[in-house]
Amino acid sequence: MARTTLRALTLLPAFALALTAAGCAEEVGGGEDTQAGDEINLVKEGKLTTCTHTPYPPFQFEEGGEIVGFDVDLVDLVAEDLGVEQSIINMPFEGIESGEAFNTNRCDVAAAAITITEERDEVMDFSDGYFDANQALLVRKDSGIKTVADLGGKTLGVQIGTTGEEYATEHKDEHGYQIRQYEDLGLLQTAVKTGQVAAGINDNVVHFEFVKQNPDTEVTEEFETGEQYGIALRTGNGAMQAKVNEVLAAAQGDGRYEEIYEKWFGKKPETK
Amino acid sequence: MAMSRRKRAQAFRGAQYALLVLVILLLALFANWSELTRAFFNLDAAADQFPGIITTALVNTIIYTALGFALGLGLGFVFAMMKLSSVGPYRWIATAYIEFFRGVPVLLVFIAFGFGVPLAFDLIFDTYTTAMLSLGLVGSAYIAETLRAGIQAVPPGQVEAARSLGMSPGRTTVTVVVPQAFRIILPPLTNEVVLLTKDSSLIYLLGLLQVEYELAKFGREGLNETGSLTPILLAGLAYLLITIPLGYLSRYLERRTGRKQQRGLEVEA
Repeated sequence: MARTTLRALTLLPAFALALTAAGCAEEVGGGEDTQAGDEINLVKEGKLTTCTHTPYPPFQFEEGGEIVGFDVDLVDLVAEDLGVEQSIINMPFEGIESGEAFNTNRCDVAAAAITITEERDEVMDFSDGYFDANQALLVRKDSGIKTVADLGGKTLGVQIGTTGEEYATEHKDEHGYQIRQYEDLGLLQTAVKTGQVAAGINDNVVHFEFVKQNPDTEVTEEFETGEQYGIALRTGNGAMQAKVNEVLAAAQGDGRYEEIYEKWFGKKPETK
Repeated sequence: MAMSRRKRAQAFRGAQYALLVLVILLLALFANWSELTRAFFNLDAAADQFPGIITTALVNTIIYTALGFALGLGLGFVFAMMKLSSVGPYRWIATAYIEFFRGVPVLLVFIAFGFGVPLAFDLIFDTYTTAMLSLGLVGSAYIAETLRAGIQAVPPGQVEAARSLGMSPGRTTVTVVVPQAFRIILPPLTNEVVLLTKDSSLIYLLGLLQVEYELAKFGREGLNETGSLTPILLAGLAYLLITIPLGYLSRYLERRTGRKQQRGLEVEA
């Protein structure tokens, strides 16, 4: 849905400038296709540019004027390996998820707790999965809502462009709730806390983080969706993909991944 | 008769004051003050916002607005001239342009420039350029209309007098018409700067580096970080730091140009 609107909008300036050459927009990839082992071309010289979307604690959020988090630390490992600094662009999640961020060559990678899905894989490429996630339902403690099935006639809040939104849309008719969209996680969770919506659906980890800070809310239901987060990159950027996978595998092997995991989640990762 | 009318007026005014006092009392009684202070006047959260809110956010908002306004004024002048031109196609192009950019939400223009133009032309602009183009194009449509109205409001006698002194049409426009039009359009032009200042809050759609945050984005990030609405309130106040002095500046300029013109008239007389 969101993606089609963006696509349609690409025609706007073309009309405005009375041009009919918008058809060529399809081929613009902003960069050559590369293979594993090729030289890595960076969008900005000497920087690894990462697109992300805050707030999404503990994966990426602002603290004391710095963007920090689990994903930030992982991408730092890649930047370190390349001998450059990480530079973070904060943008609406929709812009990342729709592939626009890569089409317009804004960044080398996107790390924003992005679930790997077939649909997204069509407009971008992914690294190997680096984190397991499921969907969860956040409600107020006094709401009496235990499962999605209790939401009949009520409103469920979602965050635009997320897998949670997809799940909510698919099961809408089955449970008979209305969907209300929010632009970011902070707004969605605040809406649940203040009672604007009966419940909010999003990834389980971020909801658990929120409940820790806000004891008047709780997570009542988790859905086994078997999702995996991946670092996203431009379709065909094989050299970068291979590099990210190499760094992730090395970090998981030598304990650096575990260290970062423990730093942000306060526990060791479950061994597979 | 006159007395009773005055009495009626006094009674009516008294009723207005009473209503005002009642509203304030009701607010004081029923507002949840502890919640309000926690949400809007959280001193810790407020302290966290400095100095970034001034050194980064306010500065960026001013830069984006200034860039947009500069481009808007330049383009606006061109389109105003086209609209007043005797050449048909110029007028049609200007009309189409103005109608389009006046009628489309700024939000869509931003998305179009942030995502559409790079796709269509394979051009990548930095944030400041994109902001300048989006705000400038929208602004120029409004400014063109304002300028056209201002130019048409200059008395025709002025043009006739200049032409009879042997000035060329171009010189007449530049030295006689535009300076007078400028004074007429100062208030609506100030209004346009205020509008652009507020529209600059949509830049977050393009994706920003932290050093590129403007006030609205900065405030929202503050809200997410502190869980308090104080940063939003502060961002709002920071906008007023820009817009209120603008109003004073505009009134000052109006007075100054007014005086100068009167002095000029006296000398000529």
